[in-house]
Amino acid sequence: MYLHNVNPSVKALTIVGLVFVLAFLFDPITPLIYIFWTLLITFSFGSFRKKYYIIYFLSFLLFAFGMLWSSIIFADVPNDPAEQVTILGWEVPKEDLLVAISLSLRILAFATLSLLFVFTTNMVQFILSLIQQLKLPPKLAYGILAGYRFLPMMKDEFQHIRSAHRLRGLNEAASFPAKLQQFQRFAIPLLAGAIRKAERTAVAMESKGFTGDRNRTYYRPITISKKDWIFPIIMFSMLGLLIAVSVKFGYFSWYSGQF
Amino acid sequence: MKQWRLKEIVVMSVLSVVFAVVYLAFLPVGKILAGLFGPIGYDLIFGIWFIVSIIAAYIIRKPGAAFLSETIAATVEVLLGNAIGPMLIISGIIQGLGAESAFALTRYKYYNLQVLMLAGMMAALFSFVWGYFTSGFAALSSSYVFAMLLTRMTSGALIAGLLGKWLSDALAKTGVLASFALGKEQRRKHAA
Repeated sequence: MYLHNVNPSVKALTIVGLVFVLAFLFDPITPLIYIFWTLLITFSFGSFRKKYYIIYFLSFLLFAFGMLWSSIIFADVPNDPAEQVTILGWEVPKEDLLVAISLSLRILAFATLSLLFVFTTNMVQFILSLIQQLKLPPKLAYGILAGYRFLPMMKDEFQHIRSAHRLRGLNEAASFPAKLQQFQRFAIPLLAGAIRKAERTAVAMESKGFTGDRNRTYYRPITISKKDWIFPIIMFSMLGLLIAVSVKFGYFSWYSGQF
Repeated sequence: MKQWRLKEIVVMSVLSVVFAVVYLAFLPVGKILAGLFGPIGYDLIFGIWFIVSIIAAYIIRKPGAAFLSETIAATVEVLLGNAIGPMLIISGIIQGLGAESAFALTRYKYYNLQVLMLAGMMAALFSFVWGYFTSGFAALSSSYVFAMLLTRMTSGALIAGLLGKWLSDALAKTGVLASFALGKEQRRKHAA
């Protein structure tokens, strides 16, 4: 599928650029259409478990909805309090409502863009691309890769510690002070184990000749080809088109200290 | 990056990845608190989102530790899937710079409780200024915004500074940090 093969650095920079432009747009319509556009692209050119995507998306929808009502309730005094609209029998200043809607749609547009990236990018390839295209220091990058690899191991370790506690007759904590103590009993051994493993990994890397020098070879070279540029071109021209439409129909609004 | 030993980089990365998961786990907690108290709910526990920069800086004690660890944690958070998206990386960078500024102000010489709490408060201040412009705080009434700032700074001092120091000290006691700045300092204290 196309989206999975786009160079990860190009993809990441495109998303960051799009988010940056969207952050300055304050009308509700452009982000709304762009959300649908991003969803269309994600589903047509990516392959992933649809169920997971929907679960993630719903939780972000909930977040955006929470943002909507909290920014209405805790809004500042509007410039024009006379203009009121009624939703579900509840009087709300029109200005506050518009601000709240565009804020929540913005959040949702950011969410769909980052989901596009997360669901179509392999983390290891992304880091390798960061070293090879964006000149991230290899010392740091391979360190992060090692750290990332520890996550599933820590899950296992958590289970080991829990079984060890059970075996010695420590039950699940019921009261709050007991819970705090339980947190300590888990957090310290887990972190200590992770640090020990990290130290050993570093020693192993160095003993095998890793110096962190930039002048090295790669088992998996990652390159940028002409095809990689299709993604940023399509995504930015759609955004440009939507902005042009909004200017033409007069609902365009740029950030000018509204909130 | 030249003065860093590989060991320190890997340990910092591991801490960042671990706390990225912790950060993600606290987002729904913040959401619930925000549901109960309004936007200020997030500020009550905001300090948890600075904790890795304080822990990494306190353990490793090299310029850049606070900034890099927070940035890596934010990036991993985004890669694991997050509602705020890539903007979160910028928030992480800004929070990391905030914490780093406290250590830079003391010229990376002092790592006592006061400096760590100051780092938590600076991270809170930096992130608040950033949030003011991006999350639309200006749409809220100004006394409420001020209350949010005070809450966030207190949370930064207590959760990030105090809890961060306590966690690192507890880790040092196990002996795993023997070859890091914090472990060496504790050994010196014991010897004396």
